[in-house]
Amino acid sequence: MKSNFLINRRTCLKGIGATLALPLLESMGWAEPDNGKPDKPPVRLGFMYMPHGVIMDQFWPADAQSFLSSPPPALESLRPVLDQCLLMKGISGVAIAPFNGAPHALELSTWLTAMLPDANTRNRINIGISADQIAANYVGGFTSLPSLELATMPQTHKENQEGLNEGYYTHCSFRSATQPVPAEINPRSVLNRLFGKSDRPGHIRQADPLDRQMLDLVIGGAKDLRKKLPQDDQHKLDEYLDSVRAVERRIAAIEFRQKEAALEKAGVSVSKRNASDSPPIEVKIPEGDKRSEYMQVMCDLNVLAFQTDTTRVSTYIGSTPNGVSYPELGFRNEHHSQTHHNNEAEKVRKVAAITAFNIAQFAYMVKKMHGLREGDGTLLDNCIMMWGSGLEDGNIHERKNLPFIIAGKGGGSINTGRFLPDTKGNQGDLLTTLLGCAGVPLDRPIGIATKQITEMTTRS
Amino acid sequence: MRMLGTFGSGVMTVALLGFAVSLTLPCKAEPADDADFVALQVDARKSFKEVVTPFVDTYCSRCHGQDRQRGGINFAPALKKPGESASSHRWKQAVAMVKSHDMPPDNAPKQPTEEERQKFLDGIGKIKFLSSKDPGAFVIRRLTKVEYGNTLHDLLGVDQKVADDLPDEVFGEGYLNTLSPLQSEQYLAIANEALDRILGPKDGTPTKAQKRLFGQTPGAGADERAAARKVARSLARNAYRRPPTDPELDVLVRVFDLARENKLAYPEALRLMLKAVLVSPQFLFITPAMEAESGRSIVPLDDHQLASRLSYLLWATMPDAELSTLADRGKLHEPAVLRAQVKRLLEDPRSRALFDGFGAQWLGLGSLEGKTFDTAKFPQMTGAMRSAMYDEARLFFESIVRENRSVVSLVDCDYTFLNGTLAELYGLDKKVTGPRWRKVKLTDANRGGILGMPGILAVTSFPDRTSPVKRGVWVLEQVLGEHVPPPPPNVPALEKQDKQTVENLTLRQRTELHVKDPTCANCHKVLDPIGFGLENFDAIGRWRDQDDAGGAIDAAGELLGGKRFASPKELKTIIAARTDDLARNVTEKLLAYALCRQLEGYDEIVVDNLMETIAKDGYRMQTLITEIVKSYPFTHRRIQEQQIASSHEK
Repeated sequence: MKSNFLINRRTCLKGIGATLALPLLESMGWAEPDNGKPDKPPVRLGFMYMPHGVIMDQFWPADAQSFLSSPPPALESLRPVLDQCLLMKGISGVAIAPFNGAPHALELSTWLTAMLPDANTRNRINIGISADQIAANYVGGFTSLPSLELATMPQTHKENQEGLNEGYYTHCSFRSATQPVPAEINPRSVLNRLFGKSDRPGHIRQADPLDRQMLDLVIGGAKDLRKKLPQDDQHKLDEYLDSVRAVERRIAAIEFRQKEAALEKAGVSVSKRNASDSPPIEVKIPEGDKRSEYMQVMCDLNVLAFQTDTTRVSTYIGSTPNGVSYPELGFRNEHHSQTHHNNEAEKVRKVAAITAFNIAQFAYMVKKMHGLREGDGTLLDNCIMMWGSGLEDGNIHERKNLPFIIAGKGGGSINTGRFLPDTKGNQGDLLTTLLGCAGVPLDRPIGIATKQITEMTTRS
Repeated sequence: MRMLGTFGSGVMTVALLGFAVSLTLPCKAEPADDADFVALQVDARKSFKEVVTPFVDTYCSRCHGQDRQRGGINFAPALKKPGESASSHRWKQAVAMVKSHDMPPDNAPKQPTEEERQKFLDGIGKIKFLSSKDPGAFVIRRLTKVEYGNTLHDLLGVDQKVADDLPDEVFGEGYLNTLSPLQSEQYLAIANEALDRILGPKDGTPTKAQKRLFGQTPGAGADERAAARKVARSLARNAYRRPPTDPELDVLVRVFDLARENKLAYPEALRLMLKAVLVSPQFLFITPAMEAESGRSIVPLDDHQLASRLSYLLWATMPDAELSTLADRGKLHEPAVLRAQVKRLLEDPRSRALFDGFGAQWLGLGSLEGKTFDTAKFPQMTGAMRSAMYDEARLFFESIVRENRSVVSLVDCDYTFLNGTLAELYGLDKKVTGPRWRKVKLTDANRGGILGMPGILAVTSFPDRTSPVKRGVWVLEQVLGEHVPPPPPNVPALEKQDKQTVENLTLRQRTELHVKDPTCANCHKVLDPIGFGLENFDAIGRWRDQDDAGGAIDAAGELLGGKRFASPKELKTIIAARTDDLARNVTEKLLAYALCRQLEGYDEIVVDNLMETIAKDGYRMQTLITEIVKSYPFTHRRIQEQQIASSHEK
């Protein structure tokens, strides 16, 4: 089995952080460090989530032939970019027994890990590193942010199902087996984090090299402290060390960009950007509390972060399983309560509307990416954007044909504009394939994966 | 027990003896206690062998034994190590399923008799005695967002809001205690922001905070490194909430040196040093003051760690001067001192943190602010109304704690707190007007206590109507501490009945359809009646005699065990009479909150012991809180290596 999935053994990543440390910064930019060929834009990887599944007959295209000409109602918003999209029916989820009583905690926490929480330590977080974080470990060192995690709702919902830690209900990104990654929900602070407090996209805040050196000393002190602590405490301190090193890298990255900017000002061209590239998009933070506007600004931030190569990996939990309503759609029922519809027309209509709404936000994002020039093509050409849900059908918690939409050609590695009605594979296979397309070498398959789904790629 | 008595000072021994005495009631001397406990263990082992194991073999193993694991459930590991915490969830599941007759399934070849079922349940009830004495791990804990903001405020005098950008998180039980690059980056940004606010611009005149934190700038010729070290010692003592070690001070002085080498002036160099303090793990985490003696697997918390644990539990902020002094003097762990400090902390207004952290989460009010309501139907649900609902519950909870009332008063009480906004929902808007909050004596016995409180009735409703099911689950789980199993994954349709007929039924009649379906009946016959009993309160907690369609409300019902009621008032009386369940539930929930983890294994014995002391004192809230603070798992920690399934480690 092992040799089947391996994409590239060139690099074998072990452990979190992967110590892609400071020296690499000098090679930051789009070129691969060793090939000397002209700059090729990097592949970016984005994930966007909706819980509770879809109304199947409104989501899946009728057949492969009619996919582009008459897409199903749920995909209407994607119509202008359908040729940039790929749909595969037949991707199954991880079987969730022995957690049958916790379908919604599992649909989210298995989404990017493709594996179950450890049943014997279920009251703590103990699952596996998620696909986005594996990618961040590999490409995160090239950008000032290793990855971007966004969410629409605060991750504070408490619901104890099957004795599982509550964190499983609200997180899908895990930096290590025991370390969930929190997501940002405030667009303004995302903007600040990406570009400093100036609200001017592309403008980077001043970095203080002294802060980096100070952190270095603090890290030294933390290591002393670590030696004196029992093992469990040491694990906690490792998380601390890992996260502070990431901050060091980030400061160094900002320093690097500042140097670059100074050189450009002095007339030395160092930019890896092509003259034909579109200028950074503008992001306006909405005042009201309309969900569509809120989600769109999060999508804008994602586009901007990719466009400016501030990060190459993003995860957006567009909605969580708990008590979310969509008053904008003209009804106030909670999403979950409608998904147990028992084929009642009114509830089915509402679930379909909520699904279409979520896909429309995703469509907003990928259409924007499609409209931005990058190198010889568009930004979307160099992205792999995955939209999906952790259930097939929220009514009966089925997980045989998980709904996924892939948008973007992944730098030419994904064969888009198709619907594959009879794909054989599981969600681990899918993630393994996508990471392969993004050029991330794996030293083992993701979760339950056993193979790559080659019919998705241009190699088949 | 005896092993623990050898720890630390003689004072500690007394403290532990105090605990030993509370372990079992009639005995006075420690050896007898041990003998009693040993007897209980022997009995538990016997019934496990003679009752539990044969029951599992006969009725469960066909699907859940050896290599079989229908539904992912296999009893083999739990049978091998019944007392381990990993097994406790399995037993809890078994109890729920066997009790509700969901297992063995109807098509099983053999069904246990009622007597067999009961014996099995009793046998499982004794498994706790097979757990070894274990306080659980107390891994160095990161301050929560709220604690971090409050601590910055107490330390530097900045507004707590400086921490607002940090991600919101669950605290107490279910607290994740992890740290991501995002948070670390924010800690640095927040430290910069906070220092900018309190220290003022470079080269400006020193601010008050600056003088307080940094002291005088040493004159020409003075040893500025020595001066910086002195400042470092005082900053770190407060920020680390314990005396810093010499190597820790060395690091801070090196930061000072770094700044000076880069030509920063003395005050600027101290600023960088303070920034280093604020991003150090000793500040961000609660860390022990002393290295644990090697070879020990369980140690008592040192007094500084205990001071922090206590202060963050009741105040959500760092220990104040009095707690710190007691810790410095090594006095805090003495039971009398600890008791007095709990009382002092609870009487301080800062103890509202206990409601904001624990109470609101327990009652489910955390979701009130963001909950969607049908605004056409309930235009009253403004932001002001939501916060009034929250404040009513807070003031009520605080009054029960500060006045040291019985935990029963939480359910059954004849007063509440109202302002003009909220009085509208009570129909008391003529009597109570304006924004001022006041204690109001209630004459309507349907109100008073959490069951008749608008905020709680609202969070347990749908956006547009009440939900007897949600309310029933809430009362069972949150008030009485029972475990309601989730509905089966493939819920059969209630709507299989003729649609027209269903639509003509009242909400109550529709809900009652549950009980006609055998899959649903086991649970719904218990929880639905409770919800019916509260049907006189609409989805935002107003009294009503008629439902939305104009039909009369039928709030009558019968609980398992035959207790009948006809109104919210009578339901309340029945629930309040279950004093032990109520008190045990609050104790368990608060202990889990205090320990930041789920309860398991040996904790059950700890709670048993706490319940005896608490019951003897009339279930008073302050006693309950004090006993939790004095309890074994709160004052001790296990430091041996944890075994985490290696297949999951990457």
